Amino acid sequence: MQNHLLARLLTLAAAVASLGARHAAPRQSPPRQLPALTPHDSALHALDRLAYGPRPGEVDAVAAGGVMNWIDGQLSPDQLDDRLVAERATAFLILRYDPRDLARLYAAARNERREGRQGGKDEEMGRRLAGEVEQLAVVRAALSRRQLYEVMVDFWANHFNVFFGKGADRVLAPSYIEETLRPRAFGKFADLLIATARSPAMLFYLDNWESVAPGSAPPAVTRPRLGARPWFGRGRYVPGFSREPAQADSQRQRVLERMPKGINENYARELLELHTLGVDGGYTQQDVIEVARIFTGWSIKRPQQGGGFEFHDWAHDDGEKTVLGVRFPAGHGMDEGVRLLKLLASLPATMHHVSRKLCQRLVNDEPPDGCVDDAVAAWKRSSGDMREVVRAIVHGPDFWAPQNIRAKVKTPLEFVVSAVRAVGGDPDTTPRLAQVVARLGQPLYRHVAPDGYPEREEAWVNSGALLDRMNVAVALAAGRLPGVTVALEAVAPATADAEQLIAAVNDGVLGGAMSDNTRRVIRDELAAAPDPVAARALAVGLTLGGPEFQRQ
Amino acid sequence: MSISRRVFVKSGGLALFSLGLDPLFLARAAFGSYRPLPSSTALYRPVLVCLFQRGAVDGLNMVVPHGESLYYRERPRIAVPASEVVDLDGHFGLHPQLAALKPLWDNKSLGVIHAVGSPDSTRSHFDAQDYMESGTPGVKSTADGWLNRYCRHDREHDDTPFRAVAFGPQLPRILAGSAPSLAIDDLQAFGLRAPEGAARDRLTRAFEQLYAGSATGLLSSSSQEAFEAVQLLRQANPAQYRPANDAEYPRGRLGRSLQQIAQLIKGNLGLQVAFADVTGWDTHVNQGGSEGQLAARLAELGQGLAAFARDLGDRLRDVVVLTMSEFGRTIRENGNIGTDHGHATAMLVMGGPVNGGRVLGRWPGLDPASRFEGRDLAVTTDFRDLFGEILARHLGATDLSAVFPGFTPDPTRFPGVIRG
Repeated sequence: MQNHLLARLLTLAAAVASLGARHAAPRQSPPRQLPALTPHDSALHALDRLAYGPRPGEVDAVAAGGVMNWIDGQLSPDQLDDRLVAERATAFLILRYDPRDLARLYAAARNERREGRQGGKDEEMGRRLAGEVEQLAVVRAALSRRQLYEVMVDFWANHFNVFFGKGADRVLAPSYIEETLRPRAFGKFADLLIATARSPAMLFYLDNWESVAPGSAPPAVTRPRLGARPWFGRGRYVPGFSREPAQADSQRQRVLERMPKGINENYARELLELHTLGVDGGYTQQDVIEVARIFTGWSIKRPQQGGGFEFHDWAHDDGEKTVLGVRFPAGHGMDEGVRLLKLLASLPATMHHVSRKLCQRLVNDEPPDGCVDDAVAAWKRSSGDMREVVRAIVHGPDFWAPQNIRAKVKTPLEFVVSAVRAVGGDPDTTPRLAQVVARLGQPLYRHVAPDGYPEREEAWVNSGALLDRMNVAVALAAGRLPGVTVALEAVAPATADAEQLIAAVNDGVLGGAMSDNTRRVIRDELAAAPDPVAARALAVGLTLGGPEFQRQ
Repeated sequence: MSISRRVFVKSGGLALFSLGLDPLFLARAAFGSYRPLPSSTALYRPVLVCLFQRGAVDGLNMVVPHGESLYYRERPRIAVPASEVVDLDGHFGLHPQLAALKPLWDNKSLGVIHAVGSPDSTRSHFDAQDYMESGTPGVKSTADGWLNRYCRHDREHDDTPFRAVAFGPQLPRILAGSAPSLAIDDLQAFGLRAPEGAARDRLTRAFEQLYAGSATGLLSSSSQEAFEAVQLLRQANPAQYRPANDAEYPRGRLGRSLQQIAQLIKGNLGLQVAFADVTGWDTHVNQGGSEGQLAARLAELGQGLAAFARDLGDRLRDVVVLTMSEFGRTIRENGNIGTDHGHATAMLVMGGPVNGGRVLGRWPGLDPASRFEGRDLAVTTDFRDLFGEILARHLGATDLSAVFPGFTPDPTRFPGVIRG
């Protein structure tokens, strides 16, 4: 234990000494002379973990300006000029559609199909918009100057995972990303938690929208609502009343039969297990039931009416509840839920669970205890300000410790985006680059289970996936990956001098981390590739597809 | 000895990390690297092929209870007339578009389980598919799929890169997890892509050397598996494959997947578990009866399965094909001449080891009093009892409780699809 502490202090000293940080480290430590990261290597590490990898020349730029200065800037994304991405975003039509527009569009597309008109204009547009949601995330990751912010948005999109392929979530998803997650990615955890709990996308995904107190029924189904529009999709709850009075009675009967008849525990369980306390967070099945009772009535409007949040007083369980020993007196309606979310956000188990996941993302698949402790301490100091929690992690010694450098394997998203960035690539607005990420196993926003995409390497490294990565690497370097233009001249000159080419590629793509073996293999291959332009593409392709580039 | 990779990480991970050794790499090494399988027929390993009918197949029109008048009363516009069904036992009959399967029924290598499904009442495609793939009905947080858990817990077989393969662009939930499994969209395109053969070989060798010399940990062992797989497949030469016995696979994704599964089986590449999706079963509107939308999907399924059996010939002896679908459809037809989301459905089981020529499972009948929630066909066989029987009695799984956590498998509840 003492050794552990000593080691951490020494590493901290080394980090502070070598980085020339202007910012006070969280703890004082005696200065010691130790081998440590060079400014160049620390810039590369920061760009690997807090960004989607360096673009050509970026390592040197960050090193020259001071890596801690760069990190500070990343922690205040609003101060960073991001005009390029803002301009690019205007080409994404999805940002101009609200859930109501989308619901209308998808309904029209469905009608087209039903009438046998395949490939009609509404269907076409629906498909385009669905692709844009994923592509927009990839474009932002590749081009934004607010890199750490994009990393955090992706972290939250997985922590608060919603599967966009589930029924109405097709329609509700874009606003979930744009309005629920993005504005709060560096905010207070409690705000983010409340926002996701109220978000129509989450309410639909985890079924809370149809969780009702047993025996309750909406005032609306006690009389026929002639001409009401059918609900989205064809799930259980489809109050699509006929316009013909003769059929209305039996249809109303069917609707009553299909009405949700009690509480649904799905959201309550995942809220405790995944969003807040963690699976070992000390709650019981009875707590899950009580939480579900508290959230009865948290529901949504029909997508055709905007799909917004709606609290149904009639569906709310009015009794008293007790969660984790805390009493929630009867009769407080929706306030009970907000009070519960604030309580959960403030519990040590939540701080530990979420901090651990952040350390797993930013530091190591098996996060060091010290890193988690630093994050939790910052959480307490700042009342759950995620900016401060992340700051504590990246200022802590574990982030810079030698055993955590290049210790993580890139996810498919990280691999594809970092490769595109490394070759000065520019993705267009078609969904083709997002489809590459999907083909490598990580279709964005399409993780079915509520736990989000995993951060562990064994989830991503397998024989088929590696071959796919090699193919993507070779195609990208050759300029053959559809939907991206690359600028290899920014990486290396097209030269017949193999040594010069290898040195430039090592520096530009791997930040100098190329192994002797890789150098040798590439040299051998270049001997058989006389054309300088093809040779450069080959050297870059082998490097991007090789083992060093899979790590960060 | 049974070591799961996860346990290995938990118990030894930290110590090994400090030595710079990746525990997962060691875990894989502990199970032995790939050895070519003996070609003696006595050592062919049993194979399970799962076809997922996504969208909820109408089990009542796939295997028609033509002996029940209620079936005809509830489905005036979409029922398959008794005169057109392919009668099986006087009470049930195959949809006429499945006629290609009748010879397999007659030679006892095709069986049917009726009224099978999930104990969970959900009628959401999303949830029900999720449960059928995770193998944990009602529990959403299960991270891996039951086929993957089977592969993890049954380590008697040597791992080969082709042990568990899903045909399609992505690994499905049912195979998600820590045991290595492959998603293959097209067998012929597996491996490195280059315009011509010599360039491809050169590129493959270059990457192989890159990984052999520079990769560490899981990257090293997985890349080794990858290049072994490429090599094996090259020897099997899928581009030259011709189905045996004049088998004709139907055009489309299903036929292509089944043919590639047959190639892997006949190439003796160590395939044990294969998976493919078959879509287009969500027939809310104009479902049709003997002909129409559903009939077209069934025709493709029937022709595909029949071609697969014919192509495999003798090798069908070691193979079981299982169809599954997230739930069945309403007994009563709806206002759009289709059916809505229901509860129990029917599953087909085909292969040499199958106790075929009979409809298995307890038939609950269509009587309103015996229906689920008063409207749908009741589930009398929990899908885990069916899947569990196949894993235990066909693949030889020893620990079903590890594959279906929270469920106590009981051989007395096995429906009896595998011959004793």
